[in-house]
Amino acid sequence: MKKMILFLVAVFMSFAVRAEDPAINFVDKLADKILTEVVTSNKEKDEKETLFRDAFTEAVDLKGVGQFVLGTVWKKTSEEDRTAFLNAFTDLTVKTWADRFNLYTGQQIIFQGTRNAERGQIYVDSVIQDKQPVEVIWRLRPSKDSYKIVDIVVEGVSMASTYRNDYRAFLQQNANSVSALTEELARKSREFKSENAK
Amino acid sequence: MGKKSFILFFCLFAVLSGCATRPTNPEELKAYEEVNDPLEPMNRGIHAFNQVADKIVLKPIAKGYRAVVPSFYRGWVSNFFDNLSQPVHFLNALLQGQLKDAGSSLGRFVTNTTFGLFGLFDVATEAGIPNPSNDFGQTLAKWGWDGDGGPFLMLPILGPSNVRDGIGTGVDAVAHPMGWALWNEQKLHYGLVGLDGVATRERALDLLDDLEKTSTDYYATLRTMSRQNRRKKINQVLNNKEDEKPDYEADFSDIEWED
Repeated sequence: MKKMILFLVAVFMSFAVRAEDPAINFVDKLADKILTEVVTSNKEKDEKETLFRDAFTEAVDLKGVGQFVLGTVWKKTSEEDRTAFLNAFTDLTVKTWADRFNLYTGQQIIFQGTRNAERGQIYVDSVIQDKQPVEVIWRLRPSKDSYKIVDIVVEGVSMASTYRNDYRAFLQQNANSVSALTEELARKSREFKSENAK
Repeated sequence: MGKKSFILFFCLFAVLSGCATRPTNPEELKAYEEVNDPLEPMNRGIHAFNQVADKIVLKPIAKGYRAVVPSFYRGWVSNFFDNLSQPVHFLNALLQGQLKDAGSSLGRFVTNTTFGLFGLFDVATEAGIPNPSNDFGQTLAKWGWDGDGGPFLMLPILGPSNVRDGIGTGVDAVAHPMGWALWNEQKLHYGLVGLDGVATRERALDLLDDLEKTSTDYYATLRTMSRQNRRKKINQVLNNKEDEKPDYEADFSDIEWED
C-alpha cells in the first residue's frame, strides 16, 4: 500500500512538473529568490548586495551580454580588457539594481506564457502588477540543463540594447577605447558608494 | 523672449549646429541609420539646455512638490490630470479604429469624473478598466506614417521624441479639453498646465536620476529608450492581435555563446 501511494505521488509530481513550463519556472524561482533573500529580507546591506551579485552572475550570461553591448569593438578587444570591462559592468549593474530594490512596494509578477525565438532562445512574457501594469519580457537561452538570461525587456525597452547604445556613444567619443569605458563604469560605481554613504 | 523670437532662435540654432556627418564605414553606417539622428548636434545642444533648465528650475520644484505635498494628495493631482486627458485618448482611439481602447478611455472618463469626484480618485483602475492612453503620434502611425516616425528630436523641456510624435504631442495639446474649457481663463489654464508639468516631473524623479547616474552617455540612453518604448506603443495599435507581440531590436545572431 505504501509503495502504491509513493508511486501515485511520483506520477502526480511528474504531471505537476510538466504542467509548469521550465523557462517560466526558471524566472519564477529566480524572482522569488531575489525577492525573499534580498529585496524584502532584513539582512545587512552588504550581505544583500553579495547575495544579489551571486544570483545575478549565476543567472545572466554576462559574457554573451558583454559581447552584445560592445558590438564590433568586442572582437578587437584583448581578453584582459574584456574581463576588466565585464567586471566593471557587473559591478555597476549590481549596484544599480540593488538601489532600485528600495522602490519595491509589494508588486506581484504574473507569468503569461512563453514564445520561441531564434537559436533556441525563449521569451518569457510577464506583467508586474502596479497601478499601471508593466510588461516585462525575459529573454533566455538554453544552457546545459537550465537557462541563462540574455536580456530583459521592460515596456519595449531592451536592457541589452540600451547599454549597447549608451556604450557605443561613449566609445565613439573616446576613440573606441574599452579601457576608458571600463574606467568610466568604475568611476560610476564609486560615485554610487559615496552617495549611499552620505 | 517672445514666442516668435524663440522659434527663430530655434531655427537659427538648427542651421548653425548643422547635421551629423554620415559615416562611410558599413558598421558605423548601420549604427548611424539605427539611431536615426541626423540632427544630433542640435539635439545634443537642446539636451544640454534641458539639463541646465532641469537642474536649476524644474527638478528643484519637483523635489519641493514631493517634499511638501504628501503622496496621497499627489495621487489626486495625477489622477485629475490623467482623467482630463481621457477625451483626447478616446478621440485618438476612435481615429485609430481601436474600439476596445476607445471604450476603456470613455469608461474611465465617465467613471472617474462621477464616482471619482471629478477625477481625483481613480476608481476606474480599481474596477479593472485599463488605461491605454492612445495618442496622436500613434494615430499618424496608423494612418501610414509608421516606422521610427522620422528623425529623432530632442524637444526643449519636453524631452526625447521624433518628428511624427512631436507633431502628435502638439496636436494632443491643442485638442486637450482644458485649453477649450478655460479659453477665457488663460492664467488659470497656464497654472494648471504648470502643475501638471511639475507632477509629471515628480513622477519621473527616480527613473531619470537613476538613468543619469548609471549611464555613460545620458543623451544616447534617453534616445534609445524613447525610441524602443515608442516602437512598442506604435506596434500596439498597428497589430491589434494580443497574441502577436512584436519582436524588439536586440539582435543576438552574431553572439558566440559559451556554456
